[in-house]
Amino acid sequence: MWLDRNSSKENWKVRPDGKEKVTGQLRYLTDLAFPDMLFGRVLRSGIPHARIKSVDVSGALQFPGVLAVLTHHDIPGLNGFGISNPDQPVFTEEWVRYEGDAIAAVAAISKEVAEKALELIQVDYEELPIVDTPEKALEPEAPSLHVDGNILHQTIFKKGSIDKGFAEASLIIEETYTTPRQMHTYLETEGGVFVPNEDGRLTVYAPTQHGYKDRMQLARILGQPEETIRIISSPIGGSFGGKDELNVQPYGALLALQCGRPVKMHFSRWESVTAGLKRHPMKIKMKTGVDQRGKILAHKVEILSDTGAYSTLGGPVLNFATEHSVGPYLIPHVDINGKAVYTNNGVSGEFRGFGGNQVIFALEGQLDRIAEKLKVDPWELRKINLRRKNDLGPLGQRIVPTEGPNQVFETIKQSSLWKERGKKQTEHPWIKKGIGLALAMHGSGLGYGIPDHAGGTIRLNKYGEIEVAFGHEEFGQGLLATLEILLLDHFQCNKEDINIIIGDTDLVPKSGSSTASRTTNMVWQALNRLKEPFLTLLFAKVSALTGYEKDALKTGREGIWTQSTEKVNERLVMTYAELAQMGETFECSTEFHYPVTPDPIMGGHYLYTSTAVIAEVEVNQLTGTVVVKQMDHTIAAGPVVNPMGYLGQIEGGSIMALGFTLTEDAVMSAGKYVTKNLDTYLIPTIFDVPEQNGVMAIEELPTDDQFGPRGVGEIGSVALAPAIVAAIKEATGIWVTELPIKPERLMKPFMNEVVLG
Amino acid sequence: MNEKSNVQEASKFLLSMELNGNSINVEVDPSRRLIDIIRTDMDLTGTKVSCEVGRCGACMVLINGKQHNSCLTMAYQCEGKKVTTIEGISEEKIDPIQQAFLEEGGFQCGYCTPGMVVSLKALLEENPNSSFEELKEGVSGNLCRCTGYGGIYRVLRRLTT
Repeated sequence: MWLDRNSSKENWKVRPDGKEKVTGQLRYLTDLAFPDMLFGRVLRSGIPHARIKSVDVSGALQFPGVLAVLTHHDIPGLNGFGISNPDQPVFTEEWVRYEGDAIAAVAAISKEVAEKALELIQVDYEELPIVDTPEKALEPEAPSLHVDGNILHQTIFKKGSIDKGFAEASLIIEETYTTPRQMHTYLETEGGVFVPNEDGRLTVYAPTQHGYKDRMQLARILGQPEETIRIISSPIGGSFGGKDELNVQPYGALLALQCGRPVKMHFSRWESVTAGLKRHPMKIKMKTGVDQRGKILAHKVEILSDTGAYSTLGGPVLNFATEHSVGPYLIPHVDINGKAVYTNNGVSGEFRGFGGNQVIFALEGQLDRIAEKLKVDPWELRKINLRRKNDLGPLGQRIVPTEGPNQVFETIKQSSLWKERGKKQTEHPWIKKGIGLALAMHGSGLGYGIPDHAGGTIRLNKYGEIEVAFGHEEFGQGLLATLEILLLDHFQCNKEDINIIIGDTDLVPKSGSSTASRTTNMVWQALNRLKEPFLTLLFAKVSALTGYEKDALKTGREGIWTQSTEKVNERLVMTYAELAQMGETFECSTEFHYPVTPDPIMGGHYLYTSTAVIAEVEVNQLTGTVVVKQMDHTIAAGPVVNPMGYLGQIEGGSIMALGFTLTEDAVMSAGKYVTKNLDTYLIPTIFDVPEQNGVMAIEELPTDDQFGPRGVGEIGSVALAPAIVAAIKEATGIWVTELPIKPERLMKPFMNEVVLG
Repeated sequence: MNEKSNVQEASKFLLSMELNGNSINVEVDPSRRLIDIIRTDMDLTGTKVSCEVGRCGACMVLINGKQHNSCLTMAYQCEGKKVTTIEGISEEKIDPIQQAFLEEGGFQCGYCTPGMVVSLKALLEENPNSSFEELKEGVSGNLCRCTGYGGIYRVLRRLTT
């Protein structure tokens, strides 16, 4: 089904958080203000690699209007953070490892005073040689950036005999692919307000993708119990993985506790660029051998990932890249080596697609190059190698059986572009047209070996509303809309009969993170688990009060109704409000774990979604510019719960991938960002984006599949790059290996051509 | 001059302008940015702050009916002008532009949305029969990171048919 308003029918709905967003009434957490509020700022090193000889904050402390200046001496607990490994100091003590390293933080009566105070902090540095590429970091004489050296994480995966595979191959393609340091570019930069409460607790109003994780990390830094901290974390002005890690929180919390007053932090775009996470730039070497028919026999992969100065999720991202460099293809002989390496560059971390985007670009590029050499249709080449329903996963782990890759392979042929393949006619001779395709399978959930808990709570609240609480976050994806649709479907009630609580650790249960395309699936599963026990309690009470048989009751508009085969005979037995007045909440909670493969392969995924993409480009050979004229996606991710949200995720994810392919790169030179703001870091504008961006949702799952709708937060962003590259090749004959694509690469030299005058 | 005077004794002038239909008089530094007057001094936070270099359009407001990035506009430039923020656009009932965003999925996180709405308002106030291409050009200074502009395109189609 091509997703649009008409095909979605009654489930195409205005979002519950919509009106306050379009009217500007919604207070984002960075819009909040409190009485007596101070303004916090962080002093960053501005130097990529140095030893700190001395820090003198006395000038800043004495400046009128300054209430606190903090350094590493002022941290009661752990001076470190990082979701998987807390090796990033809140304040550096001796070593500066990147230009965003925090030296000190200031709280003052105004932004202007705080800014001025930063200038008065004297830091004496001994500058050190800058390690600005992973290759340099791996040289034997390279300075060691961390105590255990410069390698954060290594992956090795071997299957079969790679030498035997290559020996049997009749064609071997070897290529190196590089990918950019993509920036999340959430429009709302990192920020929040930190409020000490009279009871001694601290309330944090700051975006994150996992409130409880922030609470744990902050408690560790502040050296106080988690229960003394309340994290309010939604709504969020975009995240895409980038706000999952701590950013402003340690500084705001420390300053607020020091001053005993609310402190607001809100990064400028430049500070967000400097200190914020990016997608891991990767250099991926692939050597792939096939037989004469195109059956892949051997696949050797080397991944070099620039993780920057600190860990955050650099290890898990590399694990993910390793798994996804095999893709949905059956290959007997595989040899993968991955390294995530520390450098003095900006910190790389979690980003939509999680390492899949980079290796899928490389892998699909290999298949297209093989097809060219074998002179076969690149799409048919994929068919020869594609996994089937019950095949094992990429790392040999058991996965939930999926027809996804075959479904998307077939259905993409319904795109209007499919018939246009090979037609190259354009209006001008210097404009070249091409169409390319790509296919991918993408894991969801955190993978084997990583705690991946989920849960939720349901109750009847005192206002007579069916209330659910989840520790998930709303960063724009449409969680609230998805929950509303699910609740109305389960309980057949009015919108006014439900209440949804998210994003507040004082009010929600632990539900795990809102990452890894897991949230839709987790709330769907949670509600399925909660519905029956909740209704049992509810109907037992109503039955006792009214004498109606429990089995004769159902929930509906405004309350509990009798069931009948004929609608006219149904009647409202008791309203939710009346029931609530009895004082019972009928509360039920559930805790469970994300479905995980039984095979102990670290990071290996169990649930997969699939996509195929077809894209048409026009390349102007005079300017080297690429215009994507149309694209279509097919997505196999189970039933569509929230069609507007689903469509929006694929449209938005794909345009993020368009930027990744054509324009986006946070350029660094000698460890310093060159692209400091959105005038040089170029995300797509409406003029860079085709209006025709179709999304077909394949909802059918195997009959025995119990896992329901999968999340689609990432799948739209992972396969467009190789489709564009294949289209450019068809248009120009040029194979691109480096993203984003430089126009110079595609400009056709005309110096030797005859110019007619 | 000591450092204190540098920050705290900046020159002031009395700014008189109309904000969302109300006459206001505020004493501010003439170079104070309009965005700070709106968001900080007036606590009207529907106008968003993002790039602060006039690239993203999140801080878009109407000045005498024309779209302006309020991060690039200084207090003295607003003297005697009529400034409208997102809060001034739907004071009584929701504007058809906003209704289109709601029904077409024209936003996700919503942070760029006030700026988008303001830009379209400027164009449609000036010419209610603006074409699709004119509206598209009109929002080309408004960046959206969530929607990939799919929902924005649907909004533009709806407003022009």
